[in-house]
Amino acid sequence: MIKRVLSFCTVVFGVLSLTFLLIHLVPGDPVEVMLGESASLADRDVLRAELGLNQSVANQFALYLSRLAHADFGVSIHSKTPIIELIKTRYPATLKLALVALLIGVGVGVPLGVFAALKAGHWQDLVVTIVSVRLSAMPAFWLGPMLMLIFAVWLGCLPVSGMDSPSSIILPALTLGFGLSAILTRMTRTSLLEVLNEDFIRTARAKGLTERQVILRHALRAALLPIITIVGLQMGSLLAGTVITETIFSWDGIGRLLVESIEKRDYPVTQACVLLVALSYVVVNALTDLLYRLADPRIRLGH
Amino acid sequence: MCLIYRLLLGLPLCFILMLSACKPTNTSSAPIIKASSSPEIVFAISQAPLNLDPRYATDAASERLNRLLYQSLVDFDAHTKPQPSLASWQQLSPLSYRFTLNEQRRLFYYPPSAEHKAKARKLTAYDVKATYDSITALSDSPHSAEFSNLKNIVVLNERTVLFHLNAPDRHFPAKLLLGILPAELLKSQHDFARFPVGSGPLVLLDSQNKWRLRRLDDGQRISLIEVKDPTVRMLKLVHTEVDLIQGDLPPESVRYLQAKPALTVKTSVGVNFSYLGLNMQDPQLKKLKVRQALAHAIDRQAIINKAMLMHSRLGGAILPPEHYAQQQTLPAYAYDPALARRLLQEAGVSLPLKLVYKTSTDAQRLRLATIMQAQMRPAGIDLEIRSLDWATFFAEIKQGNFQLYGLTWVGVKTPEIYGQAFASDSVPPKGFNRGRYQDAELDKLLATDNWQAVTQRIHQQLPYIPLWYEGQFAAMQKGMQNYSPKADGNWDDLATISAYAH
Repeated sequence: MIKRVLSFCTVVFGVLSLTFLLIHLVPGDPVEVMLGESASLADRDVLRAELGLNQSVANQFALYLSRLAHADFGVSIHSKTPIIELIKTRYPATLKLALVALLIGVGVGVPLGVFAALKAGHWQDLVVTIVSVRLSAMPAFWLGPMLMLIFAVWLGCLPVSGMDSPSSIILPALTLGFGLSAILTRMTRTSLLEVLNEDFIRTARAKGLTERQVILRHALRAALLPIITIVGLQMGSLLAGTVITETIFSWDGIGRLLVESIEKRDYPVTQACVLLVALSYVVVNALTDLLYRLADPRIRLGH
Repeated sequence: MCLIYRLLLGLPLCFILMLSACKPTNTSSAPIIKASSSPEIVFAISQAPLNLDPRYATDAASERLNRLLYQSLVDFDAHTKPQPSLASWQQLSPLSYRFTLNEQRRLFYYPPSAEHKAKARKLTAYDVKATYDSITALSDSPHSAEFSNLKNIVVLNERTVLFHLNAPDRHFPAKLLLGILPAELLKSQHDFARFPVGSGPLVLLDSQNKWRLRRLDDGQRISLIEVKDPTVRMLKLVHTEVDLIQGDLPPESVRYLQAKPALTVKTSVGVNFSYLGLNMQDPQLKKLKVRQALAHAIDRQAIINKAMLMHSRLGGAILPPEHYAQQQTLPAYAYDPALARRLLQEAGVSLPLKLVYKTSTDAQRLRLATIMQAQMRPAGIDLEIRSLDWATFFAEIKQGNFQLYGLTWVGVKTPEIYGQAFASDSVPPKGFNRGRYQDAELDKLLATDNWQAVTQRIHQQLPYIPLWYEGQFAAMQKGMQNYSPKADGNWDDLATISAYAH
C-alpha cells in the first residue's frame, strides 16, 4: 500500500513538474494574449507581476505547489472564473461520455470477439474481422460527421450536437464506442482463441460441461486479463478527454477545456486539467488492478 | 453458444429499437416553422464570448455581444466616420470635448443574477465618468493604453460630461466605443464578465452551456450556442437545430447552403483586410523589386473567384475604399509571373527564391496559402508553408521571427492604424509594425495626417502585400426576418431579428 501511495505521488509530481516546465517553454505569453498589442510596457509589467509571471519558473512552481496543497487551483487568467468551477462543470460531462462510450465498446466488442473466436476460420469470423478493422481505421473527425449525417440529417432522429437533451450523448458515445469496440473485438478474439486451446478447457469439456458453461465459466474468465488491460487503458484516455469528439459534438468536456487553455496560454487551467487527467489515469489503473484480482484470484495486489 | 447468438441478435435489435423510438424531425425542404413551436431564435457561433466585461473584452464574439448588451457613447456611419450614439459631442478646444447624452439612453437592466439589485434607472453622465475612470485605473485591461491620454473627466450634470486630454487627439471621439457600466456596480466591483449589467437592447439571462438572451423591447428570446466545427454548424442549420449562422464557413459549404430551399443565405462586402506581412529586415525582402515581384506573383482575383465567398473583393489598403480617410482606388498589382521573375532577376536574386510563409492552423488560411504557393512557383518563388498554433504564431510574428506571414486586420476604424502599423517607432511592443519597416518619408507623411499620400506611399513601397477584403455571409431559416450580415461581421441585427410562423 505504501509502495502504491509513493508511486502515486511520484507520478503526480512528475506530471505536474513536466507540464509546468513544458508550458513555460512553449512560445506565447498569457499577458500578450490578454492585453493585446496596444498595451503599454508598464501595463504589461504590472499584469505580469500580478500574475506572478515575473518570478523565476522555479518560484512560480513552488508557489503553485503550495497553493495546490491548500486545494487552491486558482482562477482562469482569461475568464477570471475559479478553476474548480470550470472543472466541476466540465469533468462530469467527460465522465458521462466516457462511461457510455465504454458501455458501447464493451457491450459490442466483447460478444463480437467471442463470436469471432468461436467461428474462427469461418466466413462469420472474416466478416467480424473486416468490420472491426474498418471501424478501428475510422478516425473520429470522419466518423462523427458521418453519424451526424445519417442519424441527424437523413433520419432526423437524433440531434446533430450539443448537450441539450439526453439523446445528445448517443452520437458522440457511438463515435468513441465504435473505435473501442473494434479494438476489444480483436483482443477478445485473439485472447479467447489462445485459451480455447488450453488443457483446462479440454478437461472442462471432458467433464461434460455444456459449451456455454465452458465458454462463460472457464474460457472467457481466463481470457479476461488482456481485455481488462485494454479497457483500463482506453478508459484512461477517454477520461483524459477526447478532444476531437468533444469539439465535433460541442460536448463541453475536459478535453476541450484543456485544448482551449493551451491555445490561450491559460497556465493555471492547463495545469489543473493535466493534473486531473493524471489522477484519472492513476485511479483507473488502481481499478484495473482490482479487476485483475476479481478475474483471477491468484493475483495479489502489489505482486 | 445460445447466449452468444442471443447477444449478437439482441444488440442490433436494441440499437434499432432505440433509433425507432426517436421521433423523426421534419427534414423536408418546406420553409421552417421553428417560430411556431419555439419562439426562441438560436444562433450558432464559432467562438464563444470570453469576457462580457467591456473593459476586458478583446475577442470578436465578446465585442459583438457587448454591442448589444451595453450602450456606447459613439458609433460609426457607413463611411466609418464617428457619429453620435448615446451622446453627441462638441470639441471645445484641442484638449477638451463635451459629450451630451441624448434620449436614446435606456434603463439599466439588473438581471436577477446581479449581486446588486438596484432600482431600474437611466444611464447618466456619472456612469460615463465611472466607466472611463475605471478603465484608466485598471492595469490588466487591454483598453487602458488607449486612454492613457485622458487627463480627467468632469460631470457637469446628469446628461453632460467633459473629457480633458493631455495632448490633442483628433480621433478621440472614435475611441469612446466601450459599453457604459452602472457606477454603483463598478464601485462594488461587480463581476460584469459573467453577469453583465448594461442598457443595451438585449439582456443576458444566463450563460450555462449557452448564452440565453432576451430582447427588452418585445421579449424575443435569443440563444447563442458555440459550435466550433464548421461542418457541424452547417448540419445543425440544415437539421433546423439552429436558426442562424454567420461567417467562418468555407465557400463550398456556403454554396451548399445556398442550394437549400429551406434556407436563406445573405452575403455582403467585408472590411476586414487580409495581407501578406513581410520582414523588412530580411536581406531579400528589403529589396523593393523583390516585394514587387511577390505582389505580381499572386493571382488574387483568381483566388477570390475560386476559393472565397461571394462579395469578397481585392484589397489595396488597410482601410476600405468607402472609408472617409481612403476615398481612392489604388491600382492593383496584376498577376504576371513573367514580370515577377524578371523583377527578381533584376534584384540579383538567384532563382528559385526560397521563402518561408507562416500562418495559423485555420483550414481556410492553409488552403489559401497552398494556392499562393502554387501561383508563385512559375515566378521562381519556392514558398514553404509552416502552420503554427495561434499563440505561437502570433508570438513569432511580434518577435520578428518570420519572412512572410498571413494575417487579417479586423475592426479597424481610424486612419491612425497607418502610424501604428508602419511608423518607424511602432515596432512591437510599442506598436504593430511587425515587419520592422523603416521609412523616413512615410514618417513625415504620417505626421501631416495626409492619409491619401500615406496610402499611396505604402502602396508604392509595399511593406506588405495587400490581398483582399473577405466577404461576409449569414445563413438562416426561411422564416427569419430583419437580419443581414454586416461588413465588419457584427451581430447588431439581433436587436431586430424576428421569426415568423407558417
